[in-house]
Amino acid sequence: MNDKISLSIPTKSEYVSVARLTSSVIANNMGFDIEEIEDIKVAVGEACNNAVLHTHDVDHTFDLSFFAENEKLIIEVKDSGKGFALDSYREPDLENPKEHGLGIFIMKSLMDDLKIDSEVGKGTFIRMTKYLNR
Amino acid sequence: MALDIQKVFNNERDVWDISLAGDVDIVSSVELKDNVNVLLDRDEKSIQINCEHLSYIDSTGLGVLISLLKRVKKNGNEIEITNAQPNISKLLKITGLDKIFIMK
Repeated sequence: MNDKISLSIPTKSEYVSVARLTSSVIANNMGFDIEEIEDIKVAVGEACNNAVLHTHDVDHTFDLSFFAENEKLIIEVKDSGKGFALDSYREPDLENPKEHGLGIFIMKSLMDDLKIDSEVGKGTFIRMTKYLNR
Repeated sequence: MALDIQKVFNNERDVWDISLAGDVDIVSSVELKDNVNVLLDRDEKSIQINCEHLSYIDSTGLGVLISLLKRVKKNGNEIEITNAQPNISKLLKITGLDKIFIMK
């Protein structure tokens, strides 16, 4: 199997659920178990939240692509929003919990591999992978 | 799925009793924040959140819970989370938030 599914989604919060549901259908079809499907759904939700929250122009869209392969599902989310400085990212500090910044940590925890490229003013590219039977 | 918020003051336990059903996500998290802040404006008390029918929460929802916790802590109160489904418990655990909320 080597299938690609691509969506171009408006950067409006009400469409994030479309991305989440699509991800769970694809993961289910590939044979991931219920817990893994939930992990993928949450991670996709976080990546899409990021695209929506960092793009204030509602006329924009962001790209969501799924690469369904025999042993893994690769998901890419690319936006042309305001981006962020990766250097400023800090993992959650329980002594001083913050309302923001949990998304990246959640994606990293739930997926087997996570790669983020972001540049202020240019947008963000997120690539994450979940392996089957791991 | 949309979010349903049921809220009532529990006189016996002296807490706000809130039941959530559906999804707390980028669309509905503001609704949760506004609803609970209205209750706290009326009476600053501890909060008990029943998550039995909560099927999904994301980082925006967790962010709202953190901001509400900061507010209730200022008044010496707590937030108790009950009946969380396994997927919700997992997220609270990996983010370490299970240690700052009272989990039951």
